[in-house]
Amino acid sequence: MRKQYFAGVDIGSTMTKVVIMDQEVIASVIGATGPEHRKLANRVMEEALAKAGLPFDDITYVVATGYGRINVPFADKQITEISCHAKGVAYFLPEVRTVVDIGGQDSKGIKLKDGRAVDFVMNDKCAAGTGRFLEVTAEGLGVKLEDMGKLSLTAKNAVRIANTCTVFATQEVVSKLAEGAALADVIAGLHEAIAARIYSMVGRLKVEREVALTGGGAKNIGLVRALEAKLGYKVLVPPEPLLTGAIGAALMGRDIVKEAEEKGTTLVRAERRLTEATFFT
Amino acid sequence: MTEEKKPEERKKRRTATEAASKIGPMVKAAIGGTVQAREEGKPLAYSFICCCYDEIIRAMDVIPVWTENYAGVCGAKRDAQRFLERAEAENFSRSLCTYALCGLGFDAWREELGEMPPESPWGGQARPDMMLGSGQMLCDPRNKWYQAAQQYMPDVPVYDVGLPWPPYEDDYDYREVQDYYVKYIVAELKGLVQFLEKHTGRKMDWDHLSELVDLTDRTWNLIWETYELRRAVPSVMGTGDAMNTMVPMVFMMATQEAYDFYQELNDELKHKIANKEGEIPDEKYRLIWGGGLPSWFALSDFNYFNSKGAVFPVEVTYRMIEATYNFDMDLSKVSDPLEHIAWRWVKFWTYWYDRARQRPGSHPDVERLIKYIEDYKIDGIVMHEAFSCRSWHVGLIWQLNMLKKVYKDIPSLILESDIVDISSYNEADTKARIDAFIDTLEAVKSR
Repeated sequence: MRKQYFAGVDIGSTMTKVVIMDQEVIASVIGATGPEHRKLANRVMEEALAKAGLPFDDITYVVATGYGRINVPFADKQITEISCHAKGVAYFLPEVRTVVDIGGQDSKGIKLKDGRAVDFVMNDKCAAGTGRFLEVTAEGLGVKLEDMGKLSLTAKNAVRIANTCTVFATQEVVSKLAEGAALADVIAGLHEAIAARIYSMVGRLKVEREVALTGGGAKNIGLVRALEAKLGYKVLVPPEPLLTGAIGAALMGRDIVKEAEEKGTTLVRAERRLTEATFFT
Repeated sequence: MTEEKKPEERKKRRTATEAASKIGPMVKAAIGGTVQAREEGKPLAYSFICCCYDEIIRAMDVIPVWTENYAGVCGAKRDAQRFLERAEAENFSRSLCTYALCGLGFDAWREELGEMPPESPWGGQARPDMMLGSGQMLCDPRNKWYQAAQQYMPDVPVYDVGLPWPPYEDDYDYREVQDYYVKYIVAELKGLVQFLEKHTGRKMDWDHLSELVDLTDRTWNLIWETYELRRAVPSVMGTGDAMNTMVPMVFMMATQEAYDFYQELNDELKHKIANKEGEIPDEKYRLIWGGGLPSWFALSDFNYFNSKGAVFPVEVTYRMIEATYNFDMDLSKVSDPLEHIAWRWVKFWTYWYDRARQRPGSHPDVERLIKYIEDYKIDGIVMHEAFSCRSWHVGLIWQLNMLKKVYKDIPSLILESDIVDISSYNEADTKARIDAFIDTLEAVKSR
């Protein structure tokens, strides 16, 4: 029997993620989405196929997810990021009951039961509580986004950031520095502010342990610690927190194919041609 | 500036019932009718829905100008922004009720021009001869909006009718105090009649009022019976339609036209049930609209739910009636029309109290949800948090939490936007939430 491969394509607001799996992940690519690249999922897919050493025809099923899932013309199916994140997290961390995903421009909480999403909350209205909040304030502070986590761990006395509005918070942190606050203390304060926003959002779900943190926010150790402080316990972070959605998508594809084989039904598949999305043209 | 017109009217929403499709023209005719009545010198009153005074103003031949309705029409036609901006330019906060803001912006503009603002939706909102506010727990703009409007129309008198009802407490029986409430409301309604007599120069025809009170009772009962038909599987009429069919309930009560409308709807639903004619061909999920006013500019979202196999056979919003024969008293024995109205009001608002007291930790609003969930075989609950409507929306999350605590964990979706202010709405995000919600419904159903 021909070996089966499954691809998951997660087009987030900031990053595009592609994984190719058989029983495990055999190739993955994380690239910037960017305004122009939204239509270029085909290129990221090409890169992932090259890494896996596979022609596109060998991919049994492709599932697209993320807010840009509609812009993947070569996907066989589109599935929401809520379901795919749930699936991806359950694959790595089956003990998890609540997922907190901190993405580039939104954040969400997902409640899991038996590895499936049964409830969720989303913040897509306001940049505060998302990666964008840190991105903008990092720029204002002249600090690299990827350095913020470690820097904040050296804080002695986190500064309280009163503004929840991203634009005003940027002004506030600059004025705190002008008042003599230490950079690490200000960054720690920012992490606390974003953690507080996320904590209140996921509060609606009645958070149950274990809690997993995914998305770009999970790569920021300062933010992880701040959220742990709010929750009062440790959170789990999957091996590659940016990839859980894409992995979940690939796993969904695997389930779909398996079910079709068991039932003897024929699946409709998109043409195996890596074309650009025409959604934006 | 605000004088620029930039409406973005949507194409007509697809309705499941013939009755719902008739509502648009009815509302248009009613609004046009008020403009014409103004020209003919008939007395007009700015009015709020659910204020107990439908029969009174109809009996006095005072023509109601439903200001919430007009704001909703502006919102539905995606032409409210210029009126909201006008109100904001008048220094009203954008975080106030956007019905009120839209109305105040419209009034300020109309009064400044001495005529309707250019291209006013459906001919505009007619200038009133009086304004009938209401002090009650339902919402605070009811007694502040018209007072604020007086700065543009200082010659137009306001009457504020106080309409309290006994608040719910789980450790006392509201019947201990209900008589006081009824007495108070009757006094308030008497004051309203005097006010209307003074400003119209007419005398109340008490026999006619009694006839209209009886007609209203019969209409309430008919609506209840009609809406109960929606328990049918497959669903024959959804909340999207109910947001239209509520028009006769709240804007035309105490008229034969309203009664006839529901008789027609009743017949139509019975016909659909007999023919197993569902709202959509492949019904998968039955949902309840569990709270919150809708985004009037986005009613087509209900069609989007439909496209995913989801139907809404029931809603709590705009189901502002109960069957009067289900009350714990025989309302037909209350012959005084004002007392009758007052008792109906108190019994409506306390209708779910007894059920709530039987379930520790529950609340009347939660009990109502539970009853509907069971009666209508509901799989999930959808609520809408309209940012500008505080009174109706502040307790929604709490209700949802209580529901899950005292009853069961049921999939839920909170939509976030507004009733009129389209700038609060993001169609792509809303659809993304609906998609994710459908996924969770499927996950729960297949467990």
